[in-house]
Amino acid sequence: MSAAFVYYTTTILVYLGVDILAVWSLNLQYGVTGIYNFAWIMFQAVGAYTAGVLTLGPDTSNGGFQQYILGVRLPEPLPVLVAGAVAGVVALVVGMVALRRLRTDYQAMVMLVISVIAVLLVENVTGLFNGPAGLSLVPQPYGSLPLSSLGYQWFYVALTAVICLVVYLFVHRVTSSPLGRALRATRDNEDAAQALGKDVVQLRLFAFVFGGVVAGISGAVLILFIGAWSPGSWAYVETLVVLTAVIVGGTGNNAGVMLGALLVPVAFNEATRFIPQFGRPGLVDALQWIVIGLLALVFLWFWPRGIIPERRRRFPAGPGRATQAAEPSEVT
Amino acid sequence: MTGSLFVQSIGFGLVTASILALASVGFTLQFGVSNILNLAYGDLMTASAFAGYAVNQAGGSIAESLVAGAGFGALASALLNRYLYRRFVRHGTKLFGMVVVTLAVGIIVQNILLAAYGATFFSYSFSTGGQVHILGMVLDKFQLVIIAVSVAAMAAVQLLLTRTRLGKAMRATAANPGLAQASGIGTEQVTDLAWLMSGALCGLAGVVLVLNTSAFQSTTGNDFLVVIVAAAMLGGVGRPTGAMLASVVLGVVTEVAARFITPSFKEVIAFGVLVVVLLFRPTGIFGQGATVKEVPT
Amino acid sequence: MSAAAAGARQPAADGKDFLIADGLRREFGGVRACADATFGIRRGAITSLIGPNGAGKSTVVGIVGGAIAPSAGRIVFDGSDITAMPPHDRARIGLVRTYQLSSEFGRLTVLENLLVAAPSQRGERMRTLLLGKRYWRTQERELLDQARSLLDRFALSHMQDEYAGNLSGGQKRLLEIMRALMCQPKLLLLDEPMAGVNPTLARSIEGYLAGLAGEGLTMLLVEHELGLVERLSESVIVMAQGKVIATGTMPELRARPEVLHAYLVG
Repeated sequence: MSAAFVYYTTTILVYLGVDILAVWSLNLQYGVTGIYNFAWIMFQAVGAYTAGVLTLGPDTSNGGFQQYILGVRLPEPLPVLVAGAVAGVVALVVGMVALRRLRTDYQAMVMLVISVIAVLLVENVTGLFNGPAGLSLVPQPYGSLPLSSLGYQWFYVALTAVICLVVYLFVHRVTSSPLGRALRATRDNEDAAQALGKDVVQLRLFAFVFGGVVAGISGAVLILFIGAWSPGSWAYVETLVVLTAVIVGGTGNNAGVMLGALLVPVAFNEATRFIPQFGRPGLVDALQWIVIGLLALVFLWFWPRGIIPERRRRFPAGPGRATQAAEPSEVT
Repeated sequence: MTGSLFVQSIGFGLVTASILALASVGFTLQFGVSNILNLAYGDLMTASAFAGYAVNQAGGSIAESLVAGAGFGALASALLNRYLYRRFVRHGTKLFGMVVVTLAVGIIVQNILLAAYGATFFSYSFSTGGQVHILGMVLDKFQLVIIAVSVAAMAAVQLLLTRTRLGKAMRATAANPGLAQASGIGTEQVTDLAWLMSGALCGLAGVVLVLNTSAFQSTTGNDFLVVIVAAAMLGGVGRPTGAMLASVVLGVVTEVAARFITPSFKEVIAFGVLVVVLLFRPTGIFGQGATVKEVPT
Repeated sequence: MSAAAAGARQPAADGKDFLIADGLRREFGGVRACADATFGIRRGAITSLIGPNGAGKSTVVGIVGGAIAPSAGRIVFDGSDITAMPPHDRARIGLVRTYQLSSEFGRLTVLENLLVAAPSQRGERMRTLLLGKRYWRTQERELLDQARSLLDRFALSHMQDEYAGNLSGGQKRLLEIMRALMCQPKLLLLDEPMAGVNPTLARSIEGYLAGLAGEGLTMLLVEHELGLVERLSESVIVMAQGKVIATGTMPELRARPEVLHAYLVG
């Protein structure tokens, strides 16, 4: 295996990890709870920017060509944790204002516009996160470890995997519990859920915030790997890529959306990398987007529930009903 | 100083308002008749602009480009609705799903243009025709043409909707498709015609938009989309007169604000307005009692 | 206390009535849907609410259930004034209603529909995120037992893993009632439970309701079919044009001219 190939593979694995976090996050909001969050990418951006300014150090360093707020150098793993927390707070604020009993397309529209406004603000208020140029030269976490360049790549893959595992623990806890059930009930019939005494507003806000936290963590992992992040990384259409992954993989199914993450952002985007660049520059990228759009359409038509749809939850019966334990088993 | 700058910006505001009015009336008609937020609208405008560009590069005049754009827009929109959108709706796709559909279509259209034309900027070749001084404003002749085209189109739309049978049928279908159908209105044909008409407006708006911006590319129409939706929603969904009025308001306000506050925030104002309208008054300033109806088949 | 209509039973001030509706009034856009409705419901009995279309029955049920706010009047439940209490809080204190339209959770199984209906579940709190399965495991087992016995009782055990959206209309009706029972209600408001249900199923629902009444569950039943009303209810309230015009047993009411008049004239 050539070094270049290993380099490439480890990079793909990290991207896969980030995309898996992404689909779990959006799945929790959209698939499980029925929140039409067309501003998802904004929360990944919040996490990325936060991790960036907490790792970069003061903006006068490195020749002072960037300007941004804060600018400290926190030890790992704080930037990632804080990034998640900040994204959660932003989600809380946005959720309290913008999550309403709206027609689903209006709700999507509100979120989309909020996402667009956020991009515009960051682009124009240069002092925030260095405007259109974005943040760069973000140092690698644990960079002082005595590792070779390739060694560090594997290290980061392991780091990403650990983060995914930890996040999954919490995500699974929610989706396999009565809380997850209440969220799904809110999705299926909000009025009935309310009539049964479920605090629908609070439930939705919870899913939105928790999803926001995970989105923020995904952004942090991404920026600390790539070392850079700019408004170009989070145009509102990027939400569509994640949404397509959720739809393709299986709305409401944690394992299904992982498949979607593998197929859509990863396999699909990367497969085209092996096609020799033909035509004018940017042609292949344009074709990629066309295929993503077609993919979304095809799946919305034929398999709107995805390849691995939400699983039916069965509860094994105990032999003697009065005493025997009958624990619900989650079949993802 | 400020006085004349203010008046001048109103002049620009009127031009923007004219473009916006063409676009938003088309958008709101589509929404009213089919209950679909057509997020591919901006990209169809761009495509129509490219159609006009092709004519222009082949030696056509501005008028011919306008016709080409309108024709392309009309045809593309009508076909899109008949063979794609309507099929999805019949298939059972609900409101949010349709947003994803239209968004996907928009991305496809935009990237086809990108693939075909590349990422460079284009401009129509035409003579601006010199400047005109009116009421303290200085505008290029072609900008007056834009305003004139818009006013003429708006008048035509008004006449059609209020004076003709087709117009009445459209309004009936928009208000209550089931009832309209039961009353013997061929809602399918009416819808097709509505999309032809609104598509023509979309095409006109696309050509006029790129005439006003010195250079355009594959993303130009889509960049304008949110403002269009803002004007349409502000004016009340499905209400062309509302959209016209809202366009004037938004067009003038954003231009004036751009002169006196920073230009980069010009769009943020319109977007903020849209968010507020959607959250607190989804029927728009002029509308009333919008029902949460599902997309009609 | 407002003056009761002639012949209507004065709500007992001694607290014998489990639920008291006093002077309820509600308009919708200028139309008076409910004017001065006053009645009492005895504990442990089935009381029926009848009347021609447009009499205001649904409005009354809406007000008692909490979905509709009255413009005047009050509701007293088990001794406390609950007029301002929102619907889900009423469910929590035992005042539960069913709905005419199907309101099942389509993408949850029948069993899940029942489980989710139970109030005050530990597993639904946000701290589940931190505490995990151990926190709610025991309560979930109890709820499963409760749900399964309900399914047995209503003969729907074989459908427990079916998606609720796939049930027939009649089965959805039963699900609706079972869901209400998962809340362990003290007073059950049944808004036309037999509407659109085939006669055989209606008979069995009637049987279930009689059984529940036999166990002491208080019910307010809105119903059209007078034969059923007579068989099931201990007491009947008649409404017409937004007012309570008479209460009593069916034989008593049959003798009353104003009742017949209301039904003929509407």
